Amino acid sequence: MTASTNDSVIPIERLRSAVPGLDQILGGGLFRTGVYIIQGLPGCGKTILANQICYGHVAEGGAALYVTLLAESHSRMIQHLSTLTFFDVHAFPDKLAYISAFHDLESGGLKGLMGVLRREMRTRKVGVLVLDGLVAASEGASDLDLKKFVHELQSIAALQDCTVLLLTSGNIHRMAAEHTMVDGLIEVEDKLFDARSERSIQIRKFRGAGPLRGKHSMRIDNDGISVFPRIESVYRSAASETMRDEVTTSGIASLDALLAVKGIPMASSTVVIGSTGTGKTTMGLQFLHASTAEEPGLHLSFFEGPDRLRTKARSLGLGIEALEASGAVELMWQSPGEALLDEIADRLLAAVARRNVRRLVIDGLSGFLESAVYQERLNRFFSCLVNELRSRRVTVLMTLETRDVVSSVVAMPWGVSGIVDNLFFLRFVHDEGQVERLLTIIKMRDTDYRAGLRRIHIDAQGMHIAGTYRADGDVIPSAQPVASPEGPAPSPST
Amino acid sequence: MKTILVVDDELGSAEVLSLILEEEGYQAFCAVNGQLALVQARDVVPDLVIVDYMMPLMNGAEFARALRADPQFAHTKIILNSGLPELAIRDQFEGYDAFLRKPFKVETLLTLVRQFIGR
Repeated sequence: MTASTNDSVIPIERLRSAVPGLDQILGGGLFRTGVYIIQGLPGCGKTILANQICYGHVAEGGAALYVTLLAESHSRMIQHLSTLTFFDVHAFPDKLAYISAFHDLESGGLKGLMGVLRREMRTRKVGVLVLDGLVAASEGASDLDLKKFVHELQSIAALQDCTVLLLTSGNIHRMAAEHTMVDGLIEVEDKLFDARSERSIQIRKFRGAGPLRGKHSMRIDNDGISVFPRIESVYRSAASETMRDEVTTSGIASLDALLAVKGIPMASSTVVIGSTGTGKTTMGLQFLHASTAEEPGLHLSFFEGPDRLRTKARSLGLGIEALEASGAVELMWQSPGEALLDEIADRLLAAVARRNVRRLVIDGLSGFLESAVYQERLNRFFSCLVNELRSRRVTVLMTLETRDVVSSVVAMPWGVSGIVDNLFFLRFVHDEGQVERLLTIIKMRDTDYRAGLRRIHIDAQGMHIAGTYRADGDVIPSAQPVASPEGPAPSPST
Repeated sequence: MKTILVVDDELGSAEVLSLILEEEGYQAFCAVNGQLALVQARDVVPDLVIVDYMMPLMNGAEFARALRADPQFAHTKIILNSGLPELAIRDQFEGYDAFLRKPFKVETLLTLVRQFIGR
């Protein structure tokens, strides 16, 4: 009788990369004993990526070897790496070494190079080996020679329990012979968008598992490389419903009174749109001020820092500091400058998870819009972000500034209209020599509300609805939302 | 003429250093790892060795230990160099005469060479 062999299949262990976000897009990390190509043009981050994996492996108790062919000198590489936080001088010489094998390649070809790699892998007992300069190795070699080289490397890697990274700056769009042989192909890129550049990483091939496909943003800073998976690839569950039966306060009692359910449906998303000075940030602070220990609040601001917000809140009679001290509120500031779209989303979702946030203010949606290098992606990005927040039972209030200071036109940027459950419009009007602030509830999904134009007052007690505004003739033109040049108008309120 | 052996797996570095030493009036030889360097040392019997630390096959410390174990090289001057700080490798081998952290200035090296073996 023949025993079944199904039970004897041993899954291949993963190698944790120590590169934040990379293991997530790989579905758990590189497979141990795999041979992977890391490919990209000079300057895109291959060397740092490979080194970070080496130092990460050493930090976990392993040993690594970095072999160069025709690459930057070891001393210069160490000088550059020593400025990064993952650099650890104590890794040398037992756990990490840099050696050149160019002489062996030059004198013995691929066979000579293989001899060095095999010998060093065995004697140093390394778990990670990097070969930097595959282009130099492949010059003059036939496709068959290269395939044999990779095949032999795979055999040795399996026997020595070593994961091998081959670095090459070869043409990323050319299908090379070695690509067909390796266990995975990781492509890194640094692309220019007008004056701004953004790095990305893409897993083009990965045997044995399904990685998160497509390009993911990548940042290099003092901590080395961080990868930020595209949130659409991470959060793929079906759109969650708002919690229709549960309601939370807007933070403004007189506004709640205008809504049929006497508040905002929990886990819904509200956009407050208006020109500068109309009261968007004030409305956000009032919403935040209703946070409690049971309903913790988070305020993400792109333009006003925490100190300015605290001052503003004080002038409205809102004690944000006390809520911060009790842990009910956190103020988070994000520079709108060079941030990556997915990096902001990652930071935001991490902050939401950390404190189990239930009330979220995003003050300045344009901060997201300015961070997007692919504008056509915004619709998917926002719907995924809002859906994820909804599934975490977070009620969101977002502000969006219009360009016209005195206008009745609501122009929704492309990407925002699809995420709106509720839409409030704040504006200035001139009326008989006076400037008034008005609020219009344009849309409330699945709930009724009292339509019309409402006067609002902002004073030392905050924002209040101060009665109905009656327009004479053409003072207030149509308040219907219209399409912005970039995209369609939101669907009509229900 | 004084003889110097330059040992470095980064062959370009070793070759450039050798050329500079020859311009200064020394006879210089190169080797790309410790094993080859030992063979060459027995052949050319250098007055001074400039050796990199991290190399394949036999690193600089292993080479220097093996060299010192041979009585004919007991007093040969050894300048160990590396991109790593000295404290990271000192406990591997202490018998060197000087340590240079890469990248170093050629004048610093030449001063040491002159100090050890003269012109």
